[in-house]
Amino acid sequence: MELMIDRLSKRYGQHVALRELSLRCEPGLLGLVGPNGAGKTSLMRMIATLLEPTEGSIRWNGQDTRTHGGALRQVLGYLPQDFGIYPEFTGRQFLRYLAAMKGLPGALLNRRVDEVLSIVNLEQEADRKLPTYSGGMKQRIGIAQALLNDPELLIVDEPTAGLDPAERVRFRTLLASLTRNRIIMLSTHIIGDVEAVANRLVILREGRVLADTTPEALLARTAGSVWSVTVDQATALQLQASYQVSTMINQMNGLTLRIVSTTRPHETAVVVDPSLEEAYLLATNRQEVRL
Amino acid sequence: MTSTLLPSTGKPTRTIRRQSPLLRVMGWELRRSCTSRLFWLQALGFFCLSSFMIWARQIPLTLNHMQANVLFLGYVAGTSAWGLLMILPSGTLMLLGLLLPFVNADGVTRDLHRHTHELLMATALPIRAYVWGRYLAGLVMSLGLALLLLAAILGMGLFLHLTVADYPAPEIGIVLLLWVGMIVSATIVVSSLSFALGTLLPRLATLVKTVILLAWFVGVEIISIELGDASHAANFSLPAWYINWDPTSNGISLGLFNKYMTDFSNLASKATSTAQMQHGILTVENSLIDLAGWFAPHLLLAGLSLLLVLVAALAFKRSREVLN
Repeated sequence: MELMIDRLSKRYGQHVALRELSLRCEPGLLGLVGPNGAGKTSLMRMIATLLEPTEGSIRWNGQDTRTHGGALRQVLGYLPQDFGIYPEFTGRQFLRYLAAMKGLPGALLNRRVDEVLSIVNLEQEADRKLPTYSGGMKQRIGIAQALLNDPELLIVDEPTAGLDPAERVRFRTLLASLTRNRIIMLSTHIIGDVEAVANRLVILREGRVLADTTPEALLARTAGSVWSVTVDQATALQLQASYQVSTMINQMNGLTLRIVSTTRPHETAVVVDPSLEEAYLLATNRQEVRL
Repeated sequence: MTSTLLPSTGKPTRTIRRQSPLLRVMGWELRRSCTSRLFWLQALGFFCLSSFMIWARQIPLTLNHMQANVLFLGYVAGTSAWGLLMILPSGTLMLLGLLLPFVNADGVTRDLHRHTHELLMATALPIRAYVWGRYLAGLVMSLGLALLLLAAILGMGLFLHLTVADYPAPEIGIVLLLWVGMIVSATIVVSSLSFALGTLLPRLATLVKTVILLAWFVGVEIISIELGDASHAANFSLPAWYINWDPTSNGISLGLFNKYMTDFSNLASKATSTAQMQHGILTVENSLIDLAGWFAPHLLLAGLSLLLVLVAALAFKRSREVLN
């Protein structure tokens, strides 16, 4: 199984959302990160055949999705960033409905619904009406519907937005458990979501691929570019104005800052191990930092 | 949440197809509507209101006729052919016409507003099945309301026959013919128009409902007020195309009034007793005048409205940028 994206562009009037983006995806979890407006959602919608590309092509197992979109949709699981529910339905009815829309026949449909309910741990709440679900439960129903047809390509767009930390961790663990024999594209602007689970990281910015790497490689590239320094408040403010500060902690002896910079920001600053978030900050802000 | 590996269903998940996608969409859409308590309350409310309106208009047209010193005071039964032709367009049929845009216009656009559109469009469900399935589900619900109206007419007709002196029992054959010609055809026209325009103009779905609702109201009430008084004049006549092609059936109501009155007067002029007069009105009110003139055009209108749905289905795109 292979997903090929070749020189893909998308324009909305004068606004360019994606510019000649090319990617080749194989089984594994690909983390797609970038600031808001980077083009992540447009890319995912185009892969899910919900948007027509302006230029370029998307090929699933060698077939262009413009002409053979049906073949892709047969094996696609898609969780949009902002999805709705049918308030008349219970969780189980909602999944049965979508399973029927995906073409699952009766006997398999019921078995499959039970399976995905078990995977997302919603068996106990399955017969409650959807409007009574919490945000986390709704997201779990969302991922459950995406898994109904045992997808080869699973696209999840900002799945952890609005979830509490415990739910986010559970969600990441769930995604990690699903990576075998399928391509998972996880779009997020929360680096922590991909840090633990993605074996490939694509950073998008202004519709372009800024980096196509692995979390380890990105961290290695950032080594020596993250600094820790404890200073007084006035100096901290000066540093904050001049450098990319990733964290600022108020301590007894002053403010401790972690600074992302290719040059030493302060004479007392010491190099520390970067986090993936800091590596991401360096990658997305390299241009500004250089300026 | 557990982190169990996803049990794979393998090939069967992707290859077994038993039910047609159209029937799947239609069946599940109906099932979804039936799980809503509001839907049943609306249906019950419509049935009760329809029954009440038929009961309230049991004496729609009182006839005073003086002939050879015999004074006749009679009325046309609301559930007779003449009575239904007179009262349906501005009564229960108008109520149905005002209700149907709300049942049908959002068949597809509801998914856009609820953000369920992307979930559905990312499945392998064929677009034509999706659009036609939603339309047919709406149409079945609309025809269900039309059936409730039929039940209200027959039920209330029977009730009045049993409780009001001289009130004739409804002629089932005639009521069914008028139901098909007036109510079913109007149901299909309004349902199709609402659904097609709502689907073609998803951002303007509310406006679509309002315009159809107003157009139906104007078609019945305003034209009725304009022409109603004049229609009682002996020399009054309406263009045949209006009588035959007006989907609200108001044209039939106005156009056939004088024809019924003429027939009644002819019988009444020969009557020598109240009993004969009574027999005359019973004969006239249960006769169908000029059925051929308007029946086929109404069914043709219903058929033509399906073309609009076809256009909407062809124009609908999975990747429409309305999402953005």
